[in-house]
Amino acid sequence: MRDILSSVRQRLRRVARATRTSGDAGHGGEDGTEANGDDPALDDGAVVTDGGTTAGSDGFVDRLNDRFGDDFTESAPFWLPPFLLVGLFVYGAIAWNFVISLTDYQGFIGPDYSDLDFEMYVRAINDSAVIDATVNTFLLVVAFTAVALGFGLLLAILIDRNIRFENTFRTIYLLPMSLSFVVTAQFWLWMYNYNNGVVNIVLGTVGIGPISWIGNSSIVLWAVVFALVWQFSGYTMVVYLAGLRAIPTEHYEAARVDGASTLKMYWRVILPQLKGSTISAAIVLMVFALKAFDFLYSLVSGYRPPNGADILATKMVREAYSTNNWAYASAIAIILFLMALSIIGPYLYYEYKQGNL
Amino acid sequence: MMKDTELNRRDVLKSAGALGAAGMAGLAGCSGMGGGGGGGGPVEVLHGWTGGDGATAAEALEEAFNEEYPDTELDMNPIGGGGNQNLDAVVANRLQNDNPPSSFANWPGPNLARYEGVLGDISDLWEETGFTDSHVQEAVDLHQYNGAFRAVPLGSHRLNCLFYNTSVVEEAGVDPDSLNSVSALVDALETVASETDKIPMTHGASGTWTTTQLFGVTLLGSAGYDEYMNFVEGNPSEDAVRSAFESLATILENYINDDAASIGLTESNQNIIEGEAAFIHQGNWAAGAYRNAEDFEYGEDWGFKTFPGTEGMYTLHFDSFLYPSNNPSPESTRTWLEFVGGEAAQVAFNQYKGSIPTRTDVDMSEFGPYLQETAEDFADADERPPNIQHGLGITADQRSSLNDVISSEFSGPYNVDAATQGFVDAVSN
Repeated sequence: MRDILSSVRQRLRRVARATRTSGDAGHGGEDGTEANGDDPALDDGAVVTDGGTTAGSDGFVDRLNDRFGDDFTESAPFWLPPFLLVGLFVYGAIAWNFVISLTDYQGFIGPDYSDLDFEMYVRAINDSAVIDATVNTFLLVVAFTAVALGFGLLLAILIDRNIRFENTFRTIYLLPMSLSFVVTAQFWLWMYNYNNGVVNIVLGTVGIGPISWIGNSSIVLWAVVFALVWQFSGYTMVVYLAGLRAIPTEHYEAARVDGASTLKMYWRVILPQLKGSTISAAIVLMVFALKAFDFLYSLVSGYRPPNGADILATKMVREAYSTNNWAYASAIAIILFLMALSIIGPYLYYEYKQGNL
Repeated sequence: MMKDTELNRRDVLKSAGALGAAGMAGLAGCSGMGGGGGGGGPVEVLHGWTGGDGATAAEALEEAFNEEYPDTELDMNPIGGGGNQNLDAVVANRLQNDNPPSSFANWPGPNLARYEGVLGDISDLWEETGFTDSHVQEAVDLHQYNGAFRAVPLGSHRLNCLFYNTSVVEEAGVDPDSLNSVSALVDALETVASETDKIPMTHGASGTWTTTQLFGVTLLGSAGYDEYMNFVEGNPSEDAVRSAFESLATILENYINDDAASIGLTESNQNIIEGEAAFIHQGNWAAGAYRNAEDFEYGEDWGFKTFPGTEGMYTLHFDSFLYPSNNPSPESTRTWLEFVGGEAAQVAFNQYKGSIPTRTDVDMSEFGPYLQETAEDFADADERPPNIQHGLGITADQRSSLNDVISSEFSGPYNVDAATQGFVDAVSN
């Protein structure tokens, strides 16, 4: 009751003040400080009626609180420092990177900010290497995400069938996820070896191959996708498993009672309820695919992946550090950023629509 | 009861805040310290020799420096991985942030163009120490950029080398010393292929640099010194480049190991040591692995032949230390560079690294027989053409373009036309 009263009083006071200062005068902070100096008595009065909770606040703070919620300023010490740090180091850095991409910065003599244009982007569009890298990045993201989701779902369903040694299997499937890209890349490099790699040996026993997995430019990207799927389907499995466990057994029973086959039961009853799991797993996978740089870097111990597996991330680092074309590398970084945004954006919107944000 | 011992949320937040503040203060302190280097502070040297002979050689170098200059503090920071890529990236970041090290290892020649504007002038150091007279003329020429000396050489590797496993070539009945042209080499590879079940020529192509390097020596061997220099200087003859690529395609299509794409130099070189392959082309850093291998002796188990067609030449490579301007420790850095170009450093480092001194007055008695021969070849060489993959012949930009072409057109299938066109375009003025 008191709170409402005080808030009403504040509003009234503001209206009065607004009429006092002419319409075209400054607003916001200026207004507040002026009010503060003018009639401290009024403010003191507010403090008294509020029972001391807004002690020390002035008109500007009240205004902020009104606009963003009651405890906006009170909670500021908690959220403001991280907000500023993230703002500066993440969004500030992105903005700066964008500005650099508009310059012609290369070498070690600082960028010239006086001449900004989109020349680097034009160059990127006309650079067949960038186009190839973009296509590869896109294929990698889509193929890897789709296959890892499908495979993870299959594993989750199988594990969820009350099998023996369930925990053991779960651990085994999840294990690759705990390994670093550096390790798995080396594993797969050996396994893909033409002569003595285990992949070709196994295929050889059934009369296929040998296949040059790394050396053939039309295969190598899929070989990389396969290795990444191996590493991440365990993660997808865990996400799906959590989703499956959240579905009440009644749903299974009801489907059975209605005479649904196992296939139909999963397709019609269970899968639709896993939408949330699918979306969150897909987002994580896609972001990992965009960051496949580590894997490719470790595969060849260098910034230049095998022909046919170059992605934007490796191209970007190569431009930046092999030839010091900072502006061009920044432009590629922005392209990569936009790709990531086009994945994250719809997800955030979806979450917002669902009321989760 | 629990209340007393439990940390409450405010305490946690408070201490987190305090930690954060302390961290910020620490950071500020660090950046404050960076400014006060002064002229005679410690020399911070960045290099990429982290494994095998490189690490041993760097240690020997450090030891020799501490012995000769006990009053100057030396802080050597090895940054390994990815060839020199990680080192280059660290150097690039530090130069960009205007926080250069005292000195860092890199290649001289046109490669210096990438550091345009951030390298200091040490011409007076070259004059005072007499380096201009005591080092080979090519070193004197290649360590200048924009009319001033920018770096000091430490040692030189040779690039036009063909190493072989003696027992394999004997099994095939090939006499490596008789090979004097690229076509003779191709014939010899054919003989190895038909007479033995060994790999005629082992190649590690997980990076493109080995192929670019092989192109360089093939061009030198098939078209000769003048055409090679035309290529390096930006007036390539398309015919010469094409014929080099044709020979290269013949070799790569028929005579190399099947798993070339998935292995690098180390594993490829292992094929020679284990007697799985007959020949390998590499710079003579490859010989370091032979020296470290058990029961693998020069002359008996492995041999060296100048790459066919390049007899009488020595394809140059330099390991040098560059001098950044805005140097954190100008005086000590000069001491360091004076040491690097001197006899003690060049002997200490090169005998372990498997390279040879760039000075002409060094006593080679501490070096093994193979390096002694190399040093003789170096001194007697008719021509010392600069390499293309290791900085001396072309700029970093051009090198990157060449490797792009190798990656997209010449890493199997081998497209001679496109590769020729790409190379000619990349180096043409």
